[in-house]
Amino acid sequence: MLYLQLLVNGIQTGALYALIAAGFSLIFGMTRIFHAAHGATFTIAGFVFYEFYAVLEWGLIPSVLACAAAAALFGVLLNRWVYVVIQRHEGSFFTVFAASFGAAIVVQNLIAIFFGKGMVTVSTPLSRSIELMPGLYIAPMAFIAVITAIICFALLHYLFTHTNMGVALRALGENPVLVDVFGLNPKSLGKYAFLIGSVLVVPAAILTAATSGLNPAMGHHVMMISIAATIVGGVGSLRGAAMAGLLFGLAENLSLAFFDPQWSEAVTFVILFLFIIFRPGGFYGRAIVS
Amino acid sequence: MLAYLQNIVVLFSINAILALTLNFIMGYAGIFSLAHAVFFGIGAYTAAFVALNYTDSLVLCMLAAMGLSAVISMALALPALRVRGEYFVAASLGLQMIGVTIFSEWKSVTGGLGGMVGIPSPVFLGYTFRSTTDFLILAGVILIGILVITSLLVRGSFGRSLMAIRDSESAAQAYGKSVNTVKTLSVAISAGLAALGGVLYAFYMSFVNVEVFTLDMSILLMAMVIIGGTGTLIGPVVGAAIVMALPAALTYLPFIPPGELGTIQQIIYGSAMVILMMYRPGGVVGARAKGKST
Amino acid sequence: MTAAQNLTDPAKILLQVRGLHKNFGGLQAITDVSLDLPSGVITTLVGPNGAGKTTLFNMITGHLVPSSGTVHWLGESLNGIAPWRIARKGIARTFQDLRLFNHMTVQENIETVMERSSWLWQRRSVAMKKKIEQVLDETELASKRHERAVDLAYAERKFLSLARIMAGDATLWLLDEPASGLDPRSFDRFVALLKSYAQRGVTICIIEHNLDIVIRLSDTVAFLDQGKLLAQGSSEDILKDPHLAAIYFGDR
Repeated sequence: MLYLQLLVNGIQTGALYALIAAGFSLIFGMTRIFHAAHGATFTIAGFVFYEFYAVLEWGLIPSVLACAAAAALFGVLLNRWVYVVIQRHEGSFFTVFAASFGAAIVVQNLIAIFFGKGMVTVSTPLSRSIELMPGLYIAPMAFIAVITAIICFALLHYLFTHTNMGVALRALGENPVLVDVFGLNPKSLGKYAFLIGSVLVVPAAILTAATSGLNPAMGHHVMMISIAATIVGGVGSLRGAAMAGLLFGLAENLSLAFFDPQWSEAVTFVILFLFIIFRPGGFYGRAIVS
Repeated sequence: MLAYLQNIVVLFSINAILALTLNFIMGYAGIFSLAHAVFFGIGAYTAAFVALNYTDSLVLCMLAAMGLSAVISMALALPALRVRGEYFVAASLGLQMIGVTIFSEWKSVTGGLGGMVGIPSPVFLGYTFRSTTDFLILAGVILIGILVITSLLVRGSFGRSLMAIRDSESAAQAYGKSVNTVKTLSVAISAGLAALGGVLYAFYMSFVNVEVFTLDMSILLMAMVIIGGTGTLIGPVVGAAIVMALPAALTYLPFIPPGELGTIQQIIYGSAMVILMMYRPGGVVGARAKGKST
Repeated sequence: MTAAQNLTDPAKILLQVRGLHKNFGGLQAITDVSLDLPSGVITTLVGPNGAGKTTLFNMITGHLVPSSGTVHWLGESLNGIAPWRIARKGIARTFQDLRLFNHMTVQENIETVMERSSWLWQRRSVAMKKKIEQVLDETELASKRHERAVDLAYAERKFLSLARIMAGDATLWLLDEPASGLDPRSFDRFVALLKSYAQRGVTICIIEHNLDIVIRLSDTVAFLDQGKLLAQGSSEDILKDPHLAAIYFGDR
């Protein structure tokens, strides 16, 4: 029964990780920007939701909208005001990465000033677990997590196959140079990549706020999962990143059956290392060897 | 007062050693590592372990620390460098996290969360380093030694290979540079020399524990290198000084509540990183700005 | 031996490309290209944009793996060998976008190409120092030796690109549009330099668009279109062919 419980937890966590990782992978795959501040987007989204729903008591829908707006704004504005400026004069991987990292640090600490460094949670009736079977506790939230993830991915799939913008984004990911040739503007497409990628963290942020809670330093962990999942999934493959996110969620939880909780994060990285050594292309990507 | 100043200089030297060695790979080779604190830690724990269990000879502890650190860094570099740069960042992040877990959990060797205490004073040619002044001199010597070694390497053929790879990796390959060998060697040197900072730390404090070897420390070191400037040798030293001076400077500002000091400090150097990267990527010292590699 | 004689002497053919194919996903970039590059001969690759000329270079230098076909250098197959190893066999190339080591000085650009070993320290021998001076003289860059590559004038950058190849003692030069945009005086110097190295036995292959340059430089011209080698011959033969001209200038 323990395994079943861990499996269920793993699927819940995995679904959320899949969404977050897909967001990062989308941004990185399409703009080649190592958006280390993606974790900060998640933290902002979570705390905005907390503020509007639990503190200001605005109601669910407005809070969700506020949260989505905050995430989208952060991603798009960071790109416009920082990344684009850097890319204009120089734009090496290092410079962008360092700026992104710096932004993440600033956000984390600003949030700590406003909300304190401790854990905050949003309590909803849906977070309370029900004992489905003896020894198996599932909160309705778990189902919501999985269903939300499925809906989001379905929407993404539709976006990428049936809309002009979506197809253009995919082209951008494949070959940024070609995009120029077809008269599309890589820079403005990048804006959409940041918009969509950032909004993808919203369901995960809200669900995390309602289940395990938020604290300002959680951006680190989110960023690590995003990066690891993008690589294990294969650079440029959203599907891969999502699957890798799911894999990490499962691994993190199932490993609790065998190891102490302190090692669960290490398990994620052992998986990452194994992939880098034996299959650098990840699930779906092509290994780009320098 | 004198003891207080000496203490600061010793700690500054350790930070400068770490920043210098990180800059060797970040500034000259263009390799971004989030695991530098782990090599600091490996150096410290190795020195502590050898000193507590085998010998208090300074030289032997240093050799053990450098050797282990270099070997582990190559285990990181060899698989990760043959693929793209982003993979190395991710792998280094992984190493950092696994490293902290090992430092905290491997009680028999590292003392677990409690750390290792009572590390004996190191001995070199019969002289025992005990007082703060002793360590001041030792730290100074090691720091200068590392400056000299790094300078020689950077100004010689190895440095040119590193910079060529950073300026245009494809051209470097096309002109016969074995890019992987050069990058892996640079990672090994960086980690090996960083371990010396750990050795200093372990002996000076007589105590090591995992708190200083976390991701936060790796980030702090990265900030030092970026703020000071990556293209020069003194840049990271300046960066170390600035980042260390920050908390002290902040205590003079009356309106900052003491509990928030660490947070404000992080906001300042985070913002500094963003603004510098936008307008002065060369950092405070600023020469030899980094270029786009093809 | 003159270039003309080398063209027909099988003993002097140093680079042999046979039946090279390359496709990228569905796109057939190179189809069944066979080419001989003899010692001491300057061959020019011409053809419309997208014909596959740079792709061909990339396959010789190891930056791209052919889908099928072989490349032999001095009788040895280059298939599957890493670019840096191929470079150490004496094959050197320039890039259309130059890819100089921008933040290094002229002298450092040249020195680093000569420092073959990956090890930490190489003593600079007397022979190396002489070679550096020789290369700086031949490219007339001696007075600029301590300037950063990014600060040089356009023509000087082109010559530095050539200097890197000269310093490396390469015996096969693959030059991608090396002379584009050069003023007449620089161009004359450039031609003289290339011809002097060809006379010393270096094999040279150039991608070029400017037909005047092609006429001045080439011993033989190869015409590529849509990944296929359509013709090879002297520059008069190729450039006067109305069929090829139609392809080149776009009226099919």
